[in-house]
Amino acid sequence: MSDPRFARVELSKGRSGRRRPLSVYPLLVLPLLPLVTASSPAQEPRPPGGTIRGRVEVRREPGGGEARPAVADLGHHAPRDVPERRRSVVYLETAPQAAFAAPRPGRAVLDQRNETFVPYVLAVTVGSTVDFPNSDRVYHNVFSLSKVKRFDLGRYPRGRSRSVRFDQPGVVRVFCEIHSHMSAFVLVFAHRYFATTDAEGRYRIDGVPPGAYTLAVWNDGEVRDRKEVRVAGDGIEQDFVVE
Amino acid sequence: MPRFHRALAVAGATLGACLAAAPGPAEEPVTFLGGRVVLGGEASGTIAPQDEGWFNYSDYETSTLRLFRLDLAAEARLLPFASVLLDVRSDNLDAPRVYALYLRLRPWAGREIDLQAGLVPPVFGAFPRRRYASENPLPSLPLAYQYLTSLREDAVPSRAEELVAQRGRGWRVQYPVGSPEPGPGLALVHGERWDAGLELRLGREPLSLAVAVTQGTLSYPLVRDDNGGKQVSARFAWTPSPSLVVGISGASGEFLSGEVTKVLPESARGTFRQEALGLDLQWSAGYWIARGEAVWSRWTLPALDATRIVDPLDALGAYAEVRRKLRPGLYVAGRVEGLAFSEIPSAAGRATWDAPVTRVEVGAGWTPIRHVLLKASWQHNWRDGGRIRENDLVAGQVVLWY
Repeated sequence: MSDPRFARVELSKGRSGRRRPLSVYPLLVLPLLPLVTASSPAQEPRPPGGTIRGRVEVRREPGGGEARPAVADLGHHAPRDVPERRRSVVYLETAPQAAFAAPRPGRAVLDQRNETFVPYVLAVTVGSTVDFPNSDRVYHNVFSLSKVKRFDLGRYPRGRSRSVRFDQPGVVRVFCEIHSHMSAFVLVFAHRYFATTDAEGRYRIDGVPPGAYTLAVWNDGEVRDRKEVRVAGDGIEQDFVVE
Repeated sequence: MPRFHRALAVAGATLGACLAAAPGPAEEPVTFLGGRVVLGGEASGTIAPQDEGWFNYSDYETSTLRLFRLDLAAEARLLPFASVLLDVRSDNLDAPRVYALYLRLRPWAGREIDLQAGLVPPVFGAFPRRRYASENPLPSLPLAYQYLTSLREDAVPSRAEELVAQRGRGWRVQYPVGSPEPGPGLALVHGERWDAGLELRLGREPLSLAVAVTQGTLSYPLVRDDNGGKQVSARFAWTPSPSLVVGISGASGEFLSGEVTKVLPESARGTFRQEALGLDLQWSAGYWIARGEAVWSRWTLPALDATRIVDPLDALGAYAEVRRKLRPGLYVAGRVEGLAFSEIPSAAGRATWDAPVTRVEVGAGWTPIRHVLLKASWQHNWRDGGRIRENDLVAGQVVLWY
């Protein structure tokens, strides 16, 4: 990166769970928006700068998070929810250097409900704390062996919650030790220029200073596409198609 | 090259290749037909020094601590209420054998009633349904589910002295009535094979009842009946909270094969059953899991020559097991267990019909990446009989699952 005004953020492609961490310059974090999927920056006073908005159309058929064959069980399993794998995260791979400056860690929730992590993907800024409540009648045991953050919250029942602070940028794959079909992603960014798509695939990143950027879309474990964009004035619209 | 060493070499190469195939194995099971067919599997390689005391053998040729196992499981979801499940295994590169193959039905939607028919998972006890290496914190199996007693289903002693003479030699016993060939004895419950039949489960939590009618018995599961008798087994489970599961099991079935009963004299004919009761407990919270199981089994043998074996032969196997996670991916575990046998009169006085065994095992497990589990353990065995009465074994196990 030759331009000192920019720092590069990279969510490398590759197989899920073994991705290289976000390679960011070791800078302080910027404020995070509150809760992630719901953490669209639009919920806060819009910061100065342009807006990048658009829609991510996921055409690929995401897996349903199938459980391993339960050959040793004595009957059918209780119905469980299907994870929302069409949700994507759109983010700036190159962000203004200043974006890394003013840290304001946030707090987010990754629920465990009907043997599913909700949401399936959570995007937060570095330093944020994520709560993992158990909303099921059965035990869960959240853990991650990702290099970015290794943790194991142990077994805890319904109504209890445990927390993890994510203090390094990167991709953290989260699992339940008891229910091997349960998985989720926590994407930890060192800047605030990211957004999670809503149910219709729409996203919106506010307050982007004018300039040229690489805009990337991440879906279900991989960076699926990148676009070069130039933000000027009020902003731009950029759609993605994930095949 | 002995088969075990060949298997070990293949196991090492397979697991090494899988580990080296960065960035890693699949995170999810393989699916076909839009998720209607799901495949899973497990490869495990266990290595330990020769077990001269045969404490860990599950049949004459196979030690559970010197075993390379490939396991492929499949579930075909035919309809929302019907699935076919299959589990195929190969031990030490032997020809694959079917471990499970059955139809799972839920006849009434919304009701917790399930039917399973075919080669089905056992309802008795708790361990057999978590026998997979990835679910067992230690490389070995509990004695009650693996240790070979000196009883056989296809041959019986005619006198008490013949039975007592085989104390502590269950890996290869020979009796004069029935099959003339020497062969391995029976475990209290066979942890390595499932039985064929029909089973029904009612309810799930906090109360559930599972009942099965099968061809074989706990100690000798069968696909084809060999004596015209069926086994009835059941387990009642109570889960008062997510942290505690209590199970009570029972089973009764004819265990002597037709090969023996057809050669018995008229005066000794009858029904020769294995009857068993089981109690299992599991408590877990935070980083702890504690499990315990007790299995009491009674076999009835035909009374033949002088110094007849008149009383039934009882055995009690029990274990307590604890696992504690120390940090992400790393745990320590331990198991204490014992096998006890009832006494019978013989010309040499009263003696237990087989030699009591005690085992202590401690170990650790490490998961470097999600689908790989490495285990190491040390175990000490004591036995009140047999040629080798005590030994120490150090074992290592690599498990790869998907």
